[in-house]
Amino acid sequence: MSDSDHNMTLTLRVWRQDNSEARGKFVDYKVNRISPHMSFLEMLDVLNEQLIAQGEEPVAFDHDCREGICGACGVMINGQAHGPDKETTTCQLHMRRFQDGQKVVVEPWRANAFPVVKDLVVDRTSFDRIMGAGGYVSVNTGQAQDGNCLPVARQDQESSLDAAVCIGCGACVASCKNASAMLFTSAKVSHLAQLPQGDPERPQRVLDMVAQMDAEGFGGCSNTYECEAACPAGVSVEHIARLNREYVKASFCSSAQPTIQASAD
Amino acid sequence: MSWLTGFLKSSVGRKFVMAITGLFLCFFLVVHLSGNLLLYVGADAYNHYAHQLHSNEELLMIAEVLLFGAFALHIYMAFSTTIENISARKKSYRVVESKRDDRALPLTSAADQTMMITGLIGLFFLLVHISDFKLENGWEEALAGQSQAQKASIIVSDFTRIIIYVLGSVALGIHVSHGLGSACQTIGFNHPKYTPTVHLISKIFGVIVAVGFSSFSVVSQFFPDVLNFAETASKSL
Repeated sequence: MSDSDHNMTLTLRVWRQDNSEARGKFVDYKVNRISPHMSFLEMLDVLNEQLIAQGEEPVAFDHDCREGICGACGVMINGQAHGPDKETTTCQLHMRRFQDGQKVVVEPWRANAFPVVKDLVVDRTSFDRIMGAGGYVSVNTGQAQDGNCLPVARQDQESSLDAAVCIGCGACVASCKNASAMLFTSAKVSHLAQLPQGDPERPQRVLDMVAQMDAEGFGGCSNTYECEAACPAGVSVEHIARLNREYVKASFCSSAQPTIQASAD
Repeated sequence: MSWLTGFLKSSVGRKFVMAITGLFLCFFLVVHLSGNLLLYVGADAYNHYAHQLHSNEELLMIAEVLLFGAFALHIYMAFSTTIENISARKKSYRVVESKRDDRALPLTSAADQTMMITGLIGLFFLLVHISDFKLENGWEEALAGQSQAQKASIIVSDFTRIIIYVLGSVALGIHVSHGLGSACQTIGFNHPKYTPTVHLISKIFGVIVAVGFSSFSVVSQFFPDVLNFAETASKSL
């Protein structure tokens, strides 16, 4: 990357908030010498270098693998979760998608169930609690070769994997007008509901995970499908339909009862 | 029965009730519109239909109880979920931009964003409509001694009713254009072979509802002869 590549200038309007209790506000920053080959997070790194040099507090943002698979990163960029690209995480979004001199508004995910920790970092442990409510199999399924011993039809594997690709970034909640976690929860339910390993706990899992989802204070699904469009992993809303089927079936046709109180707080 | 109350309290369960009642109400709209369209066949056909309907007192009562129940549940669930949905995000975004391709034109799929508003306009239309046709509130004089077809013709050609009925029908059409497909998804009916067709049918159904129910008022204005079944139902109103 030659030095002459660093030819972009952006005006960022970034949400700054000291801690979860602070009020927070938007602050404008001019960032010079951005290369179009940089990722959005690398651009934020440049901004932070600049802020540190000026003796200011750098902007806090979540990131880990920076290769689009961990689900740690994610901010609202000009009102779109993970920015303008389809099926792309913030770390894989490149600055060539922006115009030189463009104004870019950067906000954290907004949902009561995702309280802001600092600046662009939100607390997504509500997802962990939904997973803890049933997003696993209790039996020991052995090692890789044991997995191959269980006959699973090819199309079931594929369909299950289409749900399992969810990286839990929270873009579905962030983009939903109701701040609903249905796409996330349905992906986790759908993943295990289609495999023999997940079958014994199938009704209990969906009842508990939905109860936990409701208790966390997420909104309900009104089938606007913004989640599907925003999902960096391309999880389809057909999994939401499967969750609905699983939930009704578990409620009316199985002996399972939710073990989690559905009331919030 | 705690499992049932648990189901009805959960977000998924409430949406399920909303979808089932919504589908039932869509079915009612089809039946209602089919009956109404008999007005275009002629006064006799419509009067005969109305007579047949009202001669079955018990069946009519069961239908009315079911309809009232479905409306009450549907409206209750709408308010309870909407309040919850709005309060799930106390702090809103500065900028919001859709990532859906079909939102390129702002009005192409605004139906799902305006379900509450179109539902409320539809509800207002429904209340006025029940007051007009069932209770004949304020129409006692004008409708005295008229046949069912004449009554309908008089009411739909009234100036204020034209506005309310056309507005209400269009709002209802927009409402069901999202509602029908959405209800199918909520009850778990999503299939690669059928879902695109379901969404298409949903949109066509919305147009049919909007055009069908508003047509009577529109026709009474522009083609007064079509619905002119008696001298008393003439343009003088």
